[in-house]
Amino acid sequence: MTKEAKGGKWTSDLVLDLYSNLLAEVWEIVSALIGEAILELLFNLSIKKMGEKYPFLNSLVVSEEGISLVGTREKYRNLPPVDLHRGFQSLINHLLNLFSALTEGVIGREVFPKVFPRVREAERLVSQK
Amino acid sequence: MRLIFKNLNILRSIINTINTSFEIKEIVESAGNNLPNLFEFSSFGVLWKAESSLYLFQEESCPPSFTQEVAGNMARVFSVLGEEPDDLSRITLQVEKRKLRPSHMVMDPKATLKSYLVLPLAVGEEIIGSISLNSDQPNAFDAQDLQFFSVIGYQMAATLKHFQRFSTVKTMAIYDPLTTLYNRRYFEERMIVEAQKSFYGGSFLSLVMVDIDHFKKVNDTFGHTEGDKVLQEIASLLKASVRKKDTVARYGGEEFILILPEAGLEEAGMIAERIRRLVENTLFELGQARIHLTVSLGISNFPGHHARSKEDLVKMADQALYDAKRGGRNRVCVFHSIQG
Repeated sequence: MTKEAKGGKWTSDLVLDLYSNLLAEVWEIVSALIGEAILELLFNLSIKKMGEKYPFLNSLVVSEEGISLVGTREKYRNLPPVDLHRGFQSLINHLLNLFSALTEGVIGREVFPKVFPRVREAERLVSQK
Repeated sequence: MRLIFKNLNILRSIINTINTSFEIKEIVESAGNNLPNLFEFSSFGVLWKAESSLYLFQEESCPPSFTQEVAGNMARVFSVLGEEPDDLSRITLQVEKRKLRPSHMVMDPKATLKSYLVLPLAVGEEIIGSISLNSDQPNAFDAQDLQFFSVIGYQMAATLKHFQRFSTVKTMAIYDPLTTLYNRRYFEERMIVEAQKSFYGGSFLSLVMVDIDHFKKVNDTFGHTEGDKVLQEIASLLKASVRKKDTVARYGGEEFILILPEAGLEEAGMIAERIRRLVENTLFELGQARIHLTVSLGISNFPGHHARSKEDLVKMADQALYDAKRGGRNRVCVFHSIQG
């Protein structure tokens, strides 16, 4: 059962909100560097890979417009927030590894400062008593 | 701001050359020639899955170990993208070396790969290859480099996909079916690129026109099927006699033409003489008979012969060929402006 955070919002929803914003931000930064089509491809590769371990990730919809979590919210909002967090975290780690394999630190330098505080925030959310 | 406009213009020019290319070798070469205006790099690579080939356009002082490192890195990144194998032995490496740096900045013989950008060449969900910029300097590339490079990647992916789709049509359009040499149409297109490079860049460019002596007699005596065999064999000899960067085309009938980029008169003369001797020493088997054949060759050169256009250069080679024929055949003649 998910925990309820301040303001009456379920933490699973909060985790989804947080990662939705984070993925949108990553999309905005990286698409400006390498273009939407290549980024869409990299996202899909990462989702396919990480979706084997965290099936809910397969519900993410990626297009040249960005990433939609609508289906994820509908189907998986009852998942424990920690599972959502671990799944998204592994997706982001995989993406960052891909970025690093492709461009060493060039994309990382732009993205890391945004990503790490958010992931830490998610850690904090799911571990709230 | 002015710098951005300048870079955008260079980018436009690179995209234009990619768009108007007929084959990957041409893309790599034309893009490679323009890229130093945009990036400081040691090596530029294009990995094309359909051909299992890796084309590298690199600084001439690049040590072999650096080349291998770049190739290995591109294969590794390709496999990270979930694509086929990390196996270098399956990839054919084609290296083109050019002077990309001033003499005082040549690469250390022990230089290693310090920074790179690799981008997948993708059309929709399909990854058809990858491109890379590589440097022996640390942190050689920044976010703006990546932006520009990705634009080049998009265009290259679209063009290579186009090549894949139309490879059969392209083959028909640019190759002579009998000899498998390039045809005259391709020669004309290639001449536009080479002449532009040479006339504006100031590098040498030589043309060699080749004609089989007494070919009509071969056809009349042994028939057209045997005549075709002669054309095929001579085409093979021509291909074997030139450098990798040269273009050999069938110009028409028993006439061939060679584009020799960056070849001065001396080098063009050596190549032409090598062809003449090779043909002279070859025994052609025609039916039951074994015969010797010869060729006549005419050479023109830029800037040596002051050609003002590519048409001029072709006319000059043709004139020199005419001189070789008139002088008794089986010889190489260089164009000279005062005829008579």
